[in-house]
Amino acid sequence: MTPPLPSKEANLFKVIVKSYETKQYKKGLKAADAILKKFPKHGETLSMKGLTLNCLNRKPEAYDLVVLGLKNDLKSHVCWHVYGLLYRSDRDYREAIKCYRNALRIDPDNIEILRDLSLLQAQMRDLTGFVETRQQLLTLKSNHRMNWIGFAVAQHLNSNCLKAVEILEAYEGTLEEDYPPDNERCEHGEMLLYKTSLLEECGLLERALEELQKKEPKIVDKLAFKEQQVSLLVKLGRLEEGEKIYRSLLFMNPGNYKYYFGLQKCLGLFSENGKYSHDESSKLDDLYKSLMEQLSWSSAAKRISLDFLEGEKFRESADSYVRPLLTKGVPSLFSDLSPLYDLPSKANILEELFLELENSIRTTGGFPQSQQKEPPSTLMWMLFLLSQHFDRRGQIEVALAKIDEAIAHTPTVIDLYSAKGRILKHAGDLPAAAALADEARSMDLADRYLNSECVKRMLQADQVAKGEKTVVLFTKDGDQHNNLHDMQCMWYELASGESYFRQGDLGRALKNFLAVEKHHTDMMEDQFDFHSYCLRKMTLRSYVEMLKFQDRLHSHSYFHKAAAGAIRCYLRLFDFPTKSDAGVDEEMSNLPPSQKKKLKQKQRKKEARAKKEAEVKNEEASNSTVVSKSGKKQPIKPVDADPNGEKLVQIENPLIEGTKYLKLLQKNSSKSIETHLLSFELNMRKQKTLLAFQAVKQMLSLDDNNPDSHRCLIKFFHQVSTFAPPVSDSDKLIQRVLEEERLTLSQLHEKSLVEANQSFLRKNIGSLMHRAAAAEMLYVLDSTKKIEALKLITDSTNNVVQINGALGPIKEWKLKDCITVHELLETVFNDSEASSSWKGRCAEYFPFSTHFGSPLSSATLHSVNYNICNASENGDTNSGEGSRVLQNFSELKI
Amino acid sequence: MGGGGREITMLLEAVRDKNVMQLKKLNAVLFPVRYNDKYYADALASGEFTKLAYYNDICVGSVACRLERKENAICVYIMTLGVLAPYRGLGIGTKLVNHVLELSNKQTISEIYLHVQINNDEAIAFYKKFGFEITETIQNYYTNITPRDCYVLKKHLSSLTHLKK
Repeated sequence: MTPPLPSKEANLFKVIVKSYETKQYKKGLKAADAILKKFPKHGETLSMKGLTLNCLNRKPEAYDLVVLGLKNDLKSHVCWHVYGLLYRSDRDYREAIKCYRNALRIDPDNIEILRDLSLLQAQMRDLTGFVETRQQLLTLKSNHRMNWIGFAVAQHLNSNCLKAVEILEAYEGTLEEDYPPDNERCEHGEMLLYKTSLLEECGLLERALEELQKKEPKIVDKLAFKEQQVSLLVKLGRLEEGEKIYRSLLFMNPGNYKYYFGLQKCLGLFSENGKYSHDESSKLDDLYKSLMEQLSWSSAAKRISLDFLEGEKFRESADSYVRPLLTKGVPSLFSDLSPLYDLPSKANILEELFLELENSIRTTGGFPQSQQKEPPSTLMWMLFLLSQHFDRRGQIEVALAKIDEAIAHTPTVIDLYSAKGRILKHAGDLPAAAALADEARSMDLADRYLNSECVKRMLQADQVAKGEKTVVLFTKDGDQHNNLHDMQCMWYELASGESYFRQGDLGRALKNFLAVEKHHTDMMEDQFDFHSYCLRKMTLRSYVEMLKFQDRLHSHSYFHKAAAGAIRCYLRLFDFPTKSDAGVDEEMSNLPPSQKKKLKQKQRKKEARAKKEAEVKNEEASNSTVVSKSGKKQPIKPVDADPNGEKLVQIENPLIEGTKYLKLLQKNSSKSIETHLLSFELNMRKQKTLLAFQAVKQMLSLDDNNPDSHRCLIKFFHQVSTFAPPVSDSDKLIQRVLEEERLTLSQLHEKSLVEANQSFLRKNIGSLMHRAAAAEMLYVLDSTKKIEALKLITDSTNNVVQINGALGPIKEWKLKDCITVHELLETVFNDSEASSSWKGRCAEYFPFSTHFGSPLSSATLHSVNYNICNASENGDTNSGEGSRVLQNFSELKI
Repeated sequence: MGGGGREITMLLEAVRDKNVMQLKKLNAVLFPVRYNDKYYADALASGEFTKLAYYNDICVGSVACRLERKENAICVYIMTLGVLAPYRGLGIGTKLVNHVLELSNKQTISEIYLHVQINNDEAIAFYKKFGFEITETIQNYYTNITPRDCYVLKKHLSSLTHLKK
């Protein structure tokens, strides 16, 4: 134990602590130096000085001092606490927790350290630890509201709802009768709502309801009160009362679909899958008709009826639903209706209806059976709706004809250009889609959505440079690209990453994918502040919800895409290790060995120099601070030493890197086939046979008829059969396991791989993608069967899915699938004749596809502009209204 | 959404950098002439004299003017005025002309003038309704459309009305 400081220095030490808390770091440093002059080895002072320096962004010094301080005074809880704080500031929570624990060993009742520890435990989800710490805090200071609440929340998170309720009730027991005072009514109300939600969660419905109703006067959030009340009533089967409340909720907010479904439940008219018997649907019809009358200003009631009505009734309701919206001009009408297209019968009815409306407007200027004349814009909106309809139905030509006519009718409506861009994207002409999105953007330069959509289309068309230029039009000046990173603009990073991947620039691709991963880590970090804030503010329901959201953060599709993209990059890096400097290698291979050596040395020097420069820059950045206009000091952001991701591709073992992200995917998106496909690919390359087999089994259990599942299954056992006979014990064990497992797989039961492949084919003889998978496996299993395999693919027929109306049949094959098959022919089969004949065939099916060099795509028309100009001029010059009429009021230029 | 109201809104709005493309789109289909940058610069500089007409939130017409100085007075030259074909006959053109007239009255403009191709009877009749008169004919005014001649239509704004105000 270090002897205590004399009183003068002891006071100075207090100054350091105070200055740290009030962020007067300079003052703190002065005081620390004054003590250290006399007691240069005083541990706590050294530590505090380090902590202060840390806040001044002098990290290396900070760590040195804090460690030195600790060495000089190992028995000081202050030194340990400071060490913990330092780790915490660097987000190394595990180490920080260790330090706090050491501090608490010396001073077990230190409230501050306990509180800091509890925050870290909540962050790290060390729930048992969290409960303990919170309990200790409550025992030490039971007159603090926050300690009661904190203990209760800890119990709740640790799945001990009942205990949490008990704690909250004990807390209520400490309150006076007239609690809460006016300024704390909201907080208290929140606590009560939280408590009833806990009761509900542990199934004590009666008690929850009783409690809720008893405390009603003290609950400020009346809406939440009603929603909780009705949820309890319904769960208790008290449906009549529930119905009343839902009706009153609907009156408050007739746009909330949940209330409608709640009401349906109370009336016994709800089904999860949206299917209803005839009787039910006519009852529902009556219900919604009466709701439409009562809530006449709401469109939700009208829209929901379209979901359950069928046949003629559906047609009538759809008719009266769309008419006013077409008159008014509601651009989102199609996306509002689009869920109805999942049912082919409804899609057919809509098609008939729309065509009839179109015809009527064209011939009479009004809707059928209506005296009223429609404004001229109705025809344009009708055409807009029809074009999206036919796009959805896969009839690209009709869709384009309709949208072109709409553009010719009113060329100033921006949505038309966006929609045309989308249609062309679906048709497979990405450059033309990007050009149209750009045209839409140019028509309103203040619209960020149009700008973003345009950027996305450009990236999809692999026009990354153009996309970058366009996207920065909406970022703050000066900080261009970083700004997007700081704003966590993930769609942009994903789209660029995917584009770079397609173009083979794995460094930049990885850079973008890993940025998305980083954002997710940052979001996890972001919850830290809320552990103390929410307990103080009593927003407990939202707090717990937020924690649950954080727990499944990495299952978000953005993360999934980024991780899958990164893994694909690593797989490619493994398969083609020299790819990134292939050019240099080629150059070198033509040189004599002596020169080769020189060149290599030169290269190495150059790399070293670049590295040094980047480091120097970084150093400068982290050491200096800029004084911004407001006079506040701000640390400059470190310069990115590797803006193009060159270092990311120069890694020793890409498979190990990939495994990191695979683990996150397996943990968070285990229901996705893609996850296990990637696991299969990765583990086969790592020669982790059992893990690869596990992936195959997962895929089969998710979808045993999926072409990829089949591929992996056959490939796996085929590869295993080529392995050398096992020598080591573990290899023998693996082989035995696989032999036994193979017996359990129905696909391979008493069948050879070739037979299994045949039976898979027979089962799915009509499906292109299944045939392609079977063909590929046939070839993989026996390379002499190439012709037979190719025939399997080329003999596939593109059947008609449905014939509807006069506007032509719809074929079954999807563009994406046909491209996949094309790639298969090019890569696996490596057969240029088959692939080019496939290309020619698909160019007919998909006349706008750039991939297949189709006749109407911008790739064939040479210039994207030609395609578009042609389209927009079409309408004007040929539309019959012609330029003659257009001169109506025209006065021409000087 | 919802509501059965059939009220049709007609609004005039200013042209700015951010939406000048709307004017270009209109001109591309309304007039057989491609306008140069000066046209758009003049239009933007004329401020309130250049307007886009919105019908139910759709841009369907425009008037583009240039302000000119003429012997100590300012006059307005209407460079273009037009409405998309499907939206004609709804009073949008009238609204645009009236806007220019009212604004000119407020701002002590001495005269408003414009050019019309000599065979464009509809347009001539349209402007005469507002008190414009043919003051001269310019031969070979147009280079790539026929007939190549044009009339100058002019309306003087009486200075008396200004004095009264």
